[in-house]
Formats: sequence, structure tokens, C-alpha cells
Amino acid sequence: MNTMPPVLKPGATAPLRRPSAKRRLHLELRDGAAVIVFDRPDKSVNVIDTAFLDELETALRAVSRYEVKGLVFLSAKPSVFLAGADLESLGRLHGEALEHVVTRGQNVFAKIASLGVPTIAAIHGACLGGGLELALACDRRIASDEAATKLGLPETQLGLLPAWGGSTRLPRLIGLPKALDLIVNGKQVTAKHARRLGLVDEVVPKERLKARALALLDEPAPKRKSFFLTKNPASAAVIRFLTIRQLLAKTRGNYPAPLAALEVAGRGTWVTGGNLDRSFAREREAFVRLAETDAARNLLRLFFLQEKAKHDRHDPSVDVKSLPRIERTAVIGAGVMGAGIAQMIASRDFPVVLADLDPGPVAAGMKSVAALFDEGVKRRVFTKHEAGRKLDLVSPTADRVPLHRCDLVIEAAVEDLEVKKKIFADLCARTSPDTILATNTSALSVTELAKAEGITQPQRVIGLHFFNPVSRMKLVEIVTTEFTAPEVVERALAFVRSLGKTPVVVKDSPGFLVNRILMPYLIEAGRMAESGVPVATIDEAMLDFGMPMGPLRLLDEIGLDVANHVADTMVSAFGDRFEPPLLLADLVRAGHLGKKSGRGFYLHDRGKAVPDTFAKAPRDLPDKTAIANRLNELMAGESRRCLDEGIVRDAAMIDLAMILGTGYAPFRGGPLHGTTPNEPHL
Amino acid sequence: MKRDPDKTLVVIDGVRTPFLKMGTDFGAIDATEQGRVVVQTLLLRTGIDPAIVDELIFGSVSQPADAANVARVIALRAGLPEHVPAMTVHRNCASGLEALTAAADRLTAGRGDVFIVGGTENMTRIPLFFTLVAAAKFAALSRAKSAGGKAVAAFGFRPADFAPVVGLKLGLTDPVSGLNMGETAERLAREFDISREAQDEFALQSHLKAAAARDALAREIVPVYLPGSKSGFADRDNGIREGQTKEALSRLAPVFEKTTGTVTAGNSSQISDGAAALLVMSESRAESLGLTPLGRLVDFAWSGCDPKRMGLGPAFAIRDLHERTDLRPEDADLVEVNEAFAAQVLAVMKLLKTSPFDGLALPEERLNPQGGAIALGHPVGATGARLVLTALKQLKANGGKSALVSFCIGGGQGGAAWLETLT
Repeated sequence: MNTMPPVLKPGATAPLRRPSAKRRLHLELRDGAAVIVFDRPDKSVNVIDTAFLDELETALRAVSRYEVKGLVFLSAKPSVFLAGADLESLGRLHGEALEHVVTRGQNVFAKIASLGVPTIAAIHGACLGGGLELALACDRRIASDEAATKLGLPETQLGLLPAWGGSTRLPRLIGLPKALDLIVNGKQVTAKHARRLGLVDEVVPKERLKARALALLDEPAPKRKSFFLTKNPASAAVIRFLTIRQLLAKTRGNYPAPLAALEVAGRGTWVTGGNLDRSFAREREAFVRLAETDAARNLLRLFFLQEKAKHDRHDPSVDVKSLPRIERTAVIGAGVMGAGIAQMIASRDFPVVLADLDPGPVAAGMKSVAALFDEGVKRRVFTKHEAGRKLDLVSPTADRVPLHRCDLVIEAAVEDLEVKKKIFADLCARTSPDTILATNTSALSVTELAKAEGITQPQRVIGLHFFNPVSRMKLVEIVTTEFTAPEVVERALAFVRSLGKTPVVVKDSPGFLVNRILMPYLIEAGRMAESGVPVATIDEAMLDFGMPMGPLRLLDEIGLDVANHVADTMVSAFGDRFEPPLLLADLVRAGHLGKKSGRGFYLHDRGKAVPDTFAKAPRDLPDKTAIANRLNELMAGESRRCLDEGIVRDAAMIDLAMILGTGYAPFRGGPLHGTTPNEPHL
Repeated sequence: MKRDPDKTLVVIDGVRTPFLKMGTDFGAIDATEQGRVVVQTLLLRTGIDPAIVDELIFGSVSQPADAANVARVIALRAGLPEHVPAMTVHRNCASGLEALTAAADRLTAGRGDVFIVGGTENMTRIPLFFTLVAAAKFAALSRAKSAGGKAVAAFGFRPADFAPVVGLKLGLTDPVSGLNMGETAERLAREFDISREAQDEFALQSHLKAAAARDALAREIVPVYLPGSKSGFADRDNGIREGQTKEALSRLAPVFEKTTGTVTAGNSSQISDGAAALLVMSESRAESLGLTPLGRLVDFAWSGCDPKRMGLGPAFAIRDLHERTDLRPEDADLVEVNEAFAAQVLAVMKLLKTSPFDGLALPEERLNPQGGAIALGHPVGATGARLVLTALKQLKANGGKSALVSFCIGGGQGGAAWLETLT
């Protein structure tokens, strides 16, 4: 289309150009108003790439040529407004090319801000990152009240910062403290929450979103707050100081992005006052600098790995569409894990039977389930009403009820192979032949279980290893045996994903993947303590490395008896490298089992843990970096062995599993991809 | 007459909560939750596909203010699919039996053949009300716009306005005769010359029989999980007094007629919280699903009588049932007559021995073998379903063939139902 379109007077109705199948957005002109609709072809998600920016610029130019009373942005997608920048294309750019894209985004969004007629983003669905930055360039934002509507700036979680004007515009709109909460923590909020923050002006039903946005074009611009209180240099300095302190406590300086975002957002409000361009320049400069860091690259890679784990099939030859979805489930064993799994399943709106042998343990399980829902309400994961309806989905029972309608039964009983064999044989009798039978064991052989007497269909036996606490830990190891049917693996994968968890398929082998890799690391930490390296030094070294918890503190949490037992089984499977230090056995013998007994490597008292001392410190005490290198190398080594043995197919999945399953420092990329602590990050 | 298996209603299985005295553990939950638990557990135990249920019918006398049509709320919360309708029925103390007979009528009429029926009552939670006068003052206060207007409206309140009207008391009073249920029992005690001692003896036997039947009762009961309570669950009726003595009963003061009365808290049914549910369907459907029923509903009758003598209701219902079926109480292996009041059951027994009721006398040695509401409690909406459940479970355990259950009903009615095993 290269002829100039005729000027349309207000009231005229004609599309500027026919919506083409190839376009990422199209422009409608109706009743004197312009509407730009995001609708990326062949995809369910709208993202911003250079072609999107080109089209947007063209559309904006067209809008400015018409005498329209205003412009509305809409999405045609059912659950996405604009999900942000296209990370795949962005991830490939470096240096000047990267800076160019950042500049271009800023410029196009600036055109929205200076269009001269009212602009409104009518948001339904995910409005994240660059998507929200586009909305922030508008005069007004209204949002649908649907659960799909989420607003946020998650850039810092990827080691970056909002650089298409978001770090500059958000603090001006809602004030610095609230803006920092969103930018620095990468928090995503619902429409109602956004309304309270002042981020959106109105929340309306999705069906009325467009009509309301068009009607608002005729209304005078809303009065915005000036936030003079938080803008003055003194209070700004206090906010900055407090935020930095909080950030450093959390990240130990391993994550430069939130600090950079704080700096840019803060200076944009408190120093230059009205000068947008200088703030945009700071956004650009910080973004390009951050994008070149290992942290950003690793976090971006982690993001893609997670996306891959969300969709990857284990056996592409299986016709997944013909497989029945897992909807009805049962959990056998109402202990901490069983209750946690049942609560997790119910929280995702699947009915679940929670069974144990007697009403006592069932009642204890239901207490944990109820407590987890209460906690969810407190953390605003769901409302009190939602939590009540989800709790209804848990059917507690101490009877031998029929389970033939269940698609999946997860056994989470005591870690005793003989007990589990009996349970599985019994389950075979009580379920239908295609009910998947899963064990949540973390240590026992799934193969032994599949081969046990009375197991009529070993191909339906699988391991589903959830991590504790189930509601928080994202990883689930799907453990397959030589018997496991590929259909069973695919159904389990789909189910784990529908719980919002990330599955990693692993071959049955002692310790599976995560615990096996963790074990030599924990054992060596114990040996170091035995040789006199102070407990606090060891744990501090790994906290500095970026682990969420030091190895000795983790051993205390696991329970030293449990750890010792696991190490013993690993020795018989893999040999001496899993030999636990004598200190561990000594502590267990003395009844010092860790947190549960009040004493282990630490003395635990009322939530406080004081490190214990075990031997005189050696004269040549290793420094923290050396400790961390040594311990990390053990994880890397075991990871390589797992890869060689084919426990997982893909090296990257080991990195992902360790990060999600143990909290392995995400910015380092994982034990196989890792950057060593020798490389400074700040 | 050969029966039609498409029109014969059979009971597959049933469960109930423990019956707990007012103000104990079920005070933490409500009638809806009790109903949800029994229906969810019934579905779980029978393993049926909830989608095949044609309707859920539940009895509830004091329907929760926060759950209008409590049956629908129970159905959805217990996991029945949205397409399954639900309705709440009310026939006072026999509402739980009404749920069953309503299902039977639907089955006969060809309107569905799989039902979940039952009843629920949480008498702890029956609300207190403000008087109409007080309510008008609250309304005026909320309408007042100005501070001055509000002050004037607030000034209109009197201490008496804050004295609540007890909903439970209202519910247990018949508005036509103006008599409290206990007063109707006192009337029967006088007119049928039933002594205090006879009533106390009857009450004592109820407790002794119930205490001896703990194991049998446990077969009816499913645990209710109460995450807020210390033990975390309740699975025993807590109204049964193991060590009940006649002396202790005799020391209680009459409640309804302070000076010369004979009806006490000890020889009346207990005010309790609880729920019961039954899975019922046509005999032919049970066969096609491969389910073994506990028994079938042979027939039933509802009858009216003098509201001032509502306690006599069972006699009239048993007579009407006899007229329909030719069956006599002595034909039954087991008779369950709800124990609203000892005086009332004793009056029914006496009346059934008199001339207009020739041949319909109750077999006393087979009456309420596991005790009744005096020991177990009487959560009014649920008791009807409990009696059907206990009768069928007893027949199954003890090898009997048929059972008669009967109720007196506040407002002057009686209900009776005849059940028998299929073998």
C-alpha cells in the first residue's frame, strides 16, 4: 500500500488497511477514534521485536495523519496483551546492535507519549516488561478483571532492567517506593492490585474493555499525583539506602541488575526532575552494560531452559493428543510430603484423595493441608474463598476406598521398600489397569518397585519425585525404569506441567539426579568441618557463591541420620566418593540429628542456629573462594558422571534441575555451565 | 405382586458423621460442611461416577442463612458435577426421610434413577435474631445521612432491643398450637399416664443400648476431619453416656413444666449437630452397575395429626402404611421409632395397643436395639436418613429381613417407611 490514504473525518468508519495475516498489529479507525490491535499471526502470544516496532511506528504515523480524537491499544489474544520483548531475538544481540534496539523502542514509545491526542492501553491478559512499558507511555491504562491479566516488569529477574522507558515512567506514575517494589523485585500484580497502586486507572469486565476505553477518550485527562514527598533528595536517599541494604542482604552482590535498576529509577525521579531524555540515556547505558554480564546471559538461558522444559516431549513418537489427561488423583500417605503433594494438586483445582491407614495420620495430614492453604491466603496466592473451595477438593480417608476412577496414584509412604512393595501390589488390585502408579521416593529404586510381586503392569510404574516444601519447589524429577511405557512418561509430564512445576525426566538410579549431585558436595562440606574448617566459614562461602543455604545448614535441615543413610546407599552403588565423614556417624550416634533434635552442625534453639565447633582449625585454613570452588567442583564432577551415564539426555537439564531443585546459584548458570567464583561480578 | 426393578428404590450405601452435642466440635464447622463431608465420603466409598447422579436431595430444618438451598451448595462442594441439580426438603424432624421418599417418588415418576439423599443439621449454629422493632431501628440508623440524624437514630435504641430471639427455640415451637415440642410431650405424658420413672427408664435403656452398640454404630460413622481441633477429627457420637444411671436421670429438673412436669433434658432427645447421606437408585440400575444394595424401600406413608399431640404421629403413619401394604410392626425384624421424647414413644406404644389400631402393636423387644435420639442426639434434618441407615446396617449385620422406621413430626405429622433386604 503506497498511496496516501484519504483523510478521514471524525465519525467516518473505515479500516486503514485490511488486517493482513502477516502483520503483528492492525489499525482500526472508527467513529473518529483509532484502535491499534496487537495480534501476532500464528502465535498465541504477542511480543515486541523489531518488526513489531516498525509496524507500530508506521501505524502511529498513520494515526497522526488523521484527525482522530484518540488512540486505544488492544490485544486480540485471549490471555496476552503484550508479553514483553522477544527475548529470543534480543538474546542474540550484542553491543551496538543491542543499543540500537533499545533506542528504537524508546523512540517509538516516545511517539506514543507525544502523539498529541489521548492514548489508552486497554489491557487484558499478560502485560509484562516491554508490554507494560508501552502501556506506561500511554495517558491512561485500564485493565480487565480476569485472572489472566497480570502487570509487571520482570526484567531484573533476567539480569536486566526496564529500558524502554519503564524505569523512568513508572516511578513518576506511582511514586518511587511502589515502583521499586515492582522493578527491583520483578513482581507481577493483578488488575485490582494495579488499580490500588495507581498503575491502572480502571478495572472493567473484559467484554466492556474496548467500549470503555473508547468512551474514556472523550473524558478529560486524569490528574496525576506528583509524589513530592518521595521525590525530594533527602527521602529519596533514604529509600535508596534501605533498598540497597535489603537487596545486598538478599543477593550478596551477585545480582547487579536490581541495583542498576534502583540507580536508574532513583536518579530519574530525584535528580534530573523533568529531564526524560537523560533518564532514558541512563536506562540504555545500564541495559547494554547488564546484558553483557554472565549473570544476564545465564538468567536468560535459564528462562529458555524453563520454557523448553514446559513444552519438550520425552518421546515425540507418542501421540499425546490421544492420551487421556490426568484429572483424578490419589496420594497414599498423609505425611509431610503426601500432604504437601495433595495440597499442591488441589491448589491447581484437581480433585485428590489423601489416604493413610488411620484417622490419626489422615487428620495430621489434613492439618498440614489446611495450614498450607492458610499460608497461601496470607501470601495472597489465593483468596480465603478460593482456598476453601480448593480445600474441598481433598478427600481424606482412612478406608480402603476404590481407586479405579483415579488416573494417577502417588505413593508417599515411609521410605521402606518392603512397605512400598506391599502398597503397590495392593494399588494394582484397587486401580484400573491404566492408572499410573507413582512413587515419591527420594532414595529407593523405582525399578525394584516395578519388578515387585503383584505388580501387574510394571509399565505404569514411575517415580514422581517432588521436593520439600512441595508448594515452593518448582522441580519434579520424573523417574523412569526400563519398563515404563512412553505414554506413561508423557502423561506424567503433562500432569506435572499442569501443576505449574517443571519436570525433568531422569533414569532410575540411586539418588536420581539432584540428590546424587548434591551428595558429594554435602559430604565434602562435612569432611571440611571434621578437619576443623569452621562451620560458619563453609556455609558463608557457599552463601557468597549464591546458594540459598549453606551445605552444613542444609544437612541439619535434611536430618543427619537421613543424610548418613542416603550416603551409605550411594556408597554401595557408586563407591567411596560417597563415603560420609566419620563425624556424621558420630553425630548421629550421639543423637545429634540436626534441626529436628536441636543439634547437628548447628545448635538450634527457637529458630536460631549457632554453629558448633568440631576440631581445631588447621593452620592453612582455605579461603572462602577456595572452599566454594572445591565444593562446586564436586557438584560439577558428579553432574558430568550423570550425563555420561545417561541419567538425563541433555546437559542443560542438569543445570535446570540443580537450580530449581536445590536453589543452585541461578546467575551462575548451573554446575555444568557454571562460571567460577573467581570471576568477579560487580 | 412382582415388583418392577426399574421403579424399586434400593439403598446402596450410606454414611453419617458422628452426632455431636450442641456446642462441641461441630461448632467449628456448619451444616453445609457436614453435608459436604458425608456426600464426598459416600462418593469416595462407593466409587461411583458422580456424573450419573440425577439429583441430590437433602433435608435441613434450620437452613443456614449463608447457604440458601443448602443441598445445592453441598452438591457442588462435594464434587457433584454442575449438571446435577439439587434441592433442599423440609418436613421438620423427618426431613432426612423426606429426602428419601422424594427420591422414591421421582423414581416412580420416571424422573431419574440415581439419587443422593440425606440430611444435615447444625443446631449449634442456628442464629439468634433481633426483634422486628430492633431491626426497624437498625434500618433507620443505616438510612440516616447526617451525623445528627445518625445520633437521633442511635438514641432510639433500648437495652431490650439487643436481647436476641433464640432461633432454636422458635424452631422447636409449633406456631399453630403455640406449644413448644416439650410441652406436647408433657401433654402426652399426662393424657397417657406415663410416669417420670417410666420415661427415665426408657431413657436409661437408650443410653445402655447405644453404649453397648458402639462398634455397630462405628459402621455407620465416617470421621469428620477438623483441622482446627486438637485431635484433628471426630468419629464417635459424644451424646452417649456410658455410665448413665437412673439416679442421675431422676435428679434432673423438668424443663417444660417446672413444678409437676416429667419431661427432662435426660429423657428428651439431645440437641445435636450431624449429617447423614445415602446413595439410592433403581434396583435395575444397581444391577447394571454391579452394586450390591443394602436393601430396598418397600413403601412409606406420611400422615397428619393434632399439632398439640404431634408425638403420636408414628401411630397414624404406621396405620396408614399398614393400610397400603398390609404390613404390621410385628412382621418387622427391627423397628426404629425416633426418640424425640421418651414420653412420646411410650405414648405411641400405648396407643398402638388400643382398638382403632388393632394388631399394630410395636414389638418392644425389637424396638430401637441400638438406642435412639435420647442417647445419640437428634440433629433434626439428619435423623431421618440416620434411621434408614441404621436399620439397613443392622439388618445386614444381624441377618434380618425387614425394618420399620417411624417418626413424630413437629406441627402434627407422622412418617413411616418399610425397608427390607433383597435376599
